Amino acid sequence: MNAKDHHPPVISVRDVVAHYGDTLVLDGISFEVQSGEIFLIVGGSGCGKTTLLKHMTGLLRPTSGSVLYSGVDITTLDEDRLATTQQNIGIAFQSGGLFNSMTIGENVALPLREYGQVDEALIEGIVRLKLSLVGLAAAQHLLPDELSGGMRKRAGLARAMALDPPIIYFDEPSAGLDPIIASGLDDLILDIRKLLGITFVIVTHELESIRKIADRIMMLEQGKVIFLGTVKEAESSGAERVRQFFERRPDAHIAQRKA
Amino acid sequence: MTTKRVPCPKELNQESGRGLLDSVRQQGIARGEELILDFSETETMDSRGGAWLLKIADLVRSKHGEFRFESHHGRVAEFMELIKPGLEGGLEEKPRSPGFVERVGDHGINFVSEARDFLDLYVDAIYWTFVGPFEGRKFRWGLFVDEVHEMGVRAIGINCLMNFLLGMIIAMLSAAQLRLYGADIYVASLVVIAFFRELAAVMTAVVVSARTGAAIAAELATMEVQEEIDALRGMGLNVAQFLVAPKVLALLLAMPCLVVLGMVSGILGGAAWGIPVLGHRSDVWFRQTLDWADLGDFFQGMLKSVIFAFTIVLVGCHNGLRVKGGSRGVGLMTTRAVVMDIFFLIVIDMIFAAIFYYAWD
Repeated sequence: MNAKDHHPPVISVRDVVAHYGDTLVLDGISFEVQSGEIFLIVGGSGCGKTTLLKHMTGLLRPTSGSVLYSGVDITTLDEDRLATTQQNIGIAFQSGGLFNSMTIGENVALPLREYGQVDEALIEGIVRLKLSLVGLAAAQHLLPDELSGGMRKRAGLARAMALDPPIIYFDEPSAGLDPIIASGLDDLILDIRKLLGITFVIVTHELESIRKIADRIMMLEQGKVIFLGTVKEAESSGAERVRQFFERRPDAHIAQRKA
Repeated sequence: MTTKRVPCPKELNQESGRGLLDSVRQQGIARGEELILDFSETETMDSRGGAWLLKIADLVRSKHGEFRFESHHGRVAEFMELIKPGLEGGLEEKPRSPGFVERVGDHGINFVSEARDFLDLYVDAIYWTFVGPFEGRKFRWGLFVDEVHEMGVRAIGINCLMNFLLGMIIAMLSAAQLRLYGADIYVASLVVIAFFRELAAVMTAVVVSARTGAAIAAELATMEVQEEIDALRGMGLNVAQFLVAPKVLALLLAMPCLVVLGMVSGILGGAAWGIPVLGHRSDVWFRQTLDWADLGDFFQGMLKSVIFAFTIVLVGCHNGLRVKGGSRGVGLMTTRAVVMDIFFLIVIDMIFAAIFYYAWD
């Protein structure tokens, strides 16, 4: 773990409470992410992981609480200022979130053209560089349809990195991928962190990838933080739910059915 | 082979990268010459700087020179390792655009394959609508009832309004001419003949293509994109049976009803101009209308309505199922379905006109 406690956190989430309609989804979540850290948000399906990610990226606004980037609270910003802050974060979506009507290269170039104030001549170079970082140099002129699921995720990551943001959010990087590709993606995340010093906040529930890349993990259950710490601490944790997750034991009512 | 050696700056970023490219360009690269970038001074680089390196590699390769880099160390070496595929690739040919003959051939092949798909769907639809249910195969009556409501009942308002307005327009247009001969009572006859034979069926078909034709195409295209169609086929269910047949039967029922309502509305629209504005007595106007109402004309309109109904559903389904790509494909196919619907209904109407006005009499 290369995060040091005396640096101010790049992201700090304080007492975030969120509802969908009347349903309470996040119930007072607080944590901090250090610069250059790979921070994992884990938990079973439906525990509020993706919702939390949406609140952290400003796609949704919480009922109460705040989300601070280097001290700036994005939950109170107006649309314009929020958009400026959002340029400092890259988001890679679960199934890529690529625009179907554009080639992979055009997808990566889009944020550069819209925001980057970059030479048009350089844009093509940046696009090719980002695509070679994720191992897709040959796919520049292909359409998203023509790629496999794993390639689409990597292309989504390339687009998230287009503006060289200091923070990247990645929703379920290894879900639905075969183990070889999934571990390749894990290596890629580690390489990129090492080279570019990018902070990663990753939502996942793949144990293998958690063990491999996590600096710290935060576990959610029914909208509450039930664990926050390193993987080692999690594996030796006394909390029943955390142990169950790491030992891949089913819930009692499912286990009974087998017996 | 000559070699040129260019030192890289200490920090390779967006600004210094541009300078590097400029200096390489100034020195010029001859065919077969080798350019070596010397990284011994370079301590840091970022991705924008890396992107300029890609541009330099492109430049050298476009002059048929060789590109190499050396003395890279530490962080920079790791970075260069990761972007290597980009440095080696580059300048890859964009897909070649096909020549004239190739394009004509392509269009021909596409047309034939599309026509075959359409025919397949046509035969399937007929079987699963009219034959299958009598052989004890399952028919989705629940969906059929929903579709009758959606395609028929909910279209009544807009359809009657459109036909009513068209009836008024026809009355205005023809009255201006017939009045010259003092024959404007014949406006009533003209409206009833026009609506029985042509206009109610055509106007209703336009309304239905825009509502139902577009909806069918968008629905099936979205299902195809989201792999729902594959899911159906994977369960061994027939798409024509499951999705197309209930829609065909629903519109075959709804469309003639809408056309009859369209005829009545059109005639009322004509009367709404003829009685108050042209100053005819209402009993005279409607007597004239009834005198010229002909059962043969009425059935001609009905026959068209049935054929239009069949066409609209099949064109919608056909285009929906042929979708390629994601969200954009759905939009394209929906547009295509409506354009094809309207084109076909004009062509069909013309064929009818040729038969009934020339071959028949």
